[in-house]
Amino acid sequence: MITLSDYLILSAIVFCIGLAGIFINRTNIITLLMCVELMLAAVNTNFIAFSHFMGDQAGQIFVFFILTVAAAEVAIGLGILTLVYRNKGSISIDVTNSLKG
Amino acid sequence: MLENYLPVVVFIFLGVAFGVGLTLIGWLLGPSKPNEEKNSQFECGFPAFEDSRMHFNVRYYLVAILFILFDLEVAFVFPWAVVQSGLGWFGFVVISVFLFLLVVGFIFEWKKGALEWE
Amino acid sequence: MTNNFSFEINSLLVALPEIFLLSSIVIVLIIDLFLTSKFRQATYYLTQLSLMVTGILSFNLIGHPETVIFSNSFILDNMASVFKVFITGSSMVAMVYTRHYLLQHSLYRGEYFVLVMLAVLGMMVMVSGYSMLTLYMGLEILSLSLYTLIAIARNRSIAVEAALKYFVLGAIASGLLLYGISMVYGISGSINISDISAFAHDPSINSRDTLILNFGLVFLVIGIAFKLGAVPFHMWVPDVYEGAPTSVTMFLSTVPKIAALAMLVRILVDGLGSMHDYWSDLFLALSLLSISVGSVVALMQTNIKRMLAYSTISHVGFIMLGFVTGVVSGYGAAIFYVLVYVLMSLAAFGVIIILNNKGYEADQISDYKGLSKNSPWFALVMLIVMLSMAGVPPFIGFYSKFSILQEVVSAGFITVAIIAVVFAVISAYYYLKIIKFMYFDESDKDETISAPMDIKLILSINGSLILVVGLFPDRLMNISMSLL
Repeated sequence: MITLSDYLILSAIVFCIGLAGIFINRTNIITLLMCVELMLAAVNTNFIAFSHFMGDQAGQIFVFFILTVAAAEVAIGLGILTLVYRNKGSISIDVTNSLKG
Repeated sequence: MLENYLPVVVFIFLGVAFGVGLTLIGWLLGPSKPNEEKNSQFECGFPAFEDSRMHFNVRYYLVAILFILFDLEVAFVFPWAVVQSGLGWFGFVVISVFLFLLVVGFIFEWKKGALEWE
Repeated sequence: MTNNFSFEINSLLVALPEIFLLSSIVIVLIIDLFLTSKFRQATYYLTQLSLMVTGILSFNLIGHPETVIFSNSFILDNMASVFKVFITGSSMVAMVYTRHYLLQHSLYRGEYFVLVMLAVLGMMVMVSGYSMLTLYMGLEILSLSLYTLIAIARNRSIAVEAALKYFVLGAIASGLLLYGISMVYGISGSINISDISAFAHDPSINSRDTLILNFGLVFLVIGIAFKLGAVPFHMWVPDVYEGAPTSVTMFLSTVPKIAALAMLVRILVDGLGSMHDYWSDLFLALSLLSISVGSVVALMQTNIKRMLAYSTISHVGFIMLGFVTGVVSGYGAAIFYVLVYVLMSLAAFGVIIILNNKGYEADQISDYKGLSKNSPWFALVMLIVMLSMAGVPPFIGFYSKFSILQEVVSAGFITVAIIAVVFAVISAYYYLKIIKFMYFDESDKDETISAPMDIKLILSINGSLILVVGLFPDRLMNISMSLL
């Protein structure tokens, strides 16, 4: 039987992979977008697991909204990506270094 | 609970074993004497021009962006469709407002020429 | 689940400002599509009109008894209405400054105004959000509009880069925030602020539940700190401020701070107020780091937008300090500080935008040399703003810092107050440096700076408000204190 904590551990691992991916990844902006998606997927897993084990609908509704927002976010991310490509001729992260924070 | 899935596991195992086994038998028993004539394209196309991992045209991104947005809105329409009879006019008006906003977005991108390929 | 879906006209009236704004966004978007280039200015005037009507509608709702609608997810109280008035008002001021900038930098597009209105809508939803879902949706409407606004200067590679950075870090922030929300939901069983509050206030709550709630709380605080730009989650602030077109920098550095503060109040005070002992330590660390890093790093900046970015970070530190106190008057002082900060920041960026009107970005501090000779009036406004930001007595910036420090001292954090004062004095150095450049240095270029009438008028009102409210701060202070 799969328990609630199994889901939570899984989602924590996926979340950490996504977060680490953003900070370690130094090659490609698309990979960055994928890592963001991974983080959101982990959160969705969390919500659905809680919602299922508590018998409460709110979590599943929340997941719907997260999915939609994630889609909008990816759309804007891809839009920015094409702009980066047009301006710099590459989508590698190394080209985005004229601002130093 | 979990043991109910045993037949499924057995089935998956058998399926994999069957597929791998037949390929393995063919690879072991069949004669293998390649020569240049055999490896060349024969009656099915012509030599490849370039690597198949080619770059996508940027326009595909545009199509992908628009597709993602409108595709996911169905996720909201579907639950509404399932319970539609219980919601009555309230549900109808709400989904109409939702679809109206989508249509506004659609008109916007149409007029801006985002749907033109050239 | 009770099936009580029906039209309640009363509940729709409560959300009237938002509904009106959404309708006008749709109308402006469609009208802008079919406008010929001769009538392009119409978009701007329509936007101002819709923002103004929205503001008036919100103003009328002040004093409305506290109402919660849409299955406990949308609240209308005095704080929401007053914040909405301030949000629409300061957005309108920002739009006045923005228009000429857009025309001169050939960035004028109808979408710009629609995106600003969408951002305002997102902020209004945030201010009124009473469940995690509405708060999150408002935050995302705001953030997604801001990413796009920055990238609207699509031929400027620095702006595109800033948009990318803001996008990635904003996405991380929402991810962390959502993870925190999911944890809080999992343990309390609800996404409504009132239910979460009831759960957290329950005296029979066991230690395991407290631990998990605390775990979620840390993620919530980190997510909000990212959005506010508090140290150590401030990496994006200077880059975005520098890279974005100045009009966008002005917008995103001012108005969203009001909404973020409202979100902070809803989640941490209304929702998890009983967990104050846990989150006030986090806030103390964040605010001290922000004040110190913001004050010290700003000393080395040569770009005025970067300098103002670090100055914002240190202001955010002061705002968070108000939350450390854990008393209502402390939160009131934080609200006062935010409103004052928005007023000062609008004027500062207004002057920068006027200097930018030659079609290039005059964002080096050395560009301000001899400004008092070329255009004494703008230099005077900048002088007022800089003195006010530094916290010099007759101006309003003094009272905002003073009220925060007063609350901090009366809550017993005397060391913290002393550290904050020391760094405030250090930060006065770079504000005074700009004044020195403006009044005591010779200009290397000889040009008079002119600006259109409406900008001059708004800037003068804005600058004199800093002085006038500074002389009579009681009224604004009473408003801020009465909101909680």
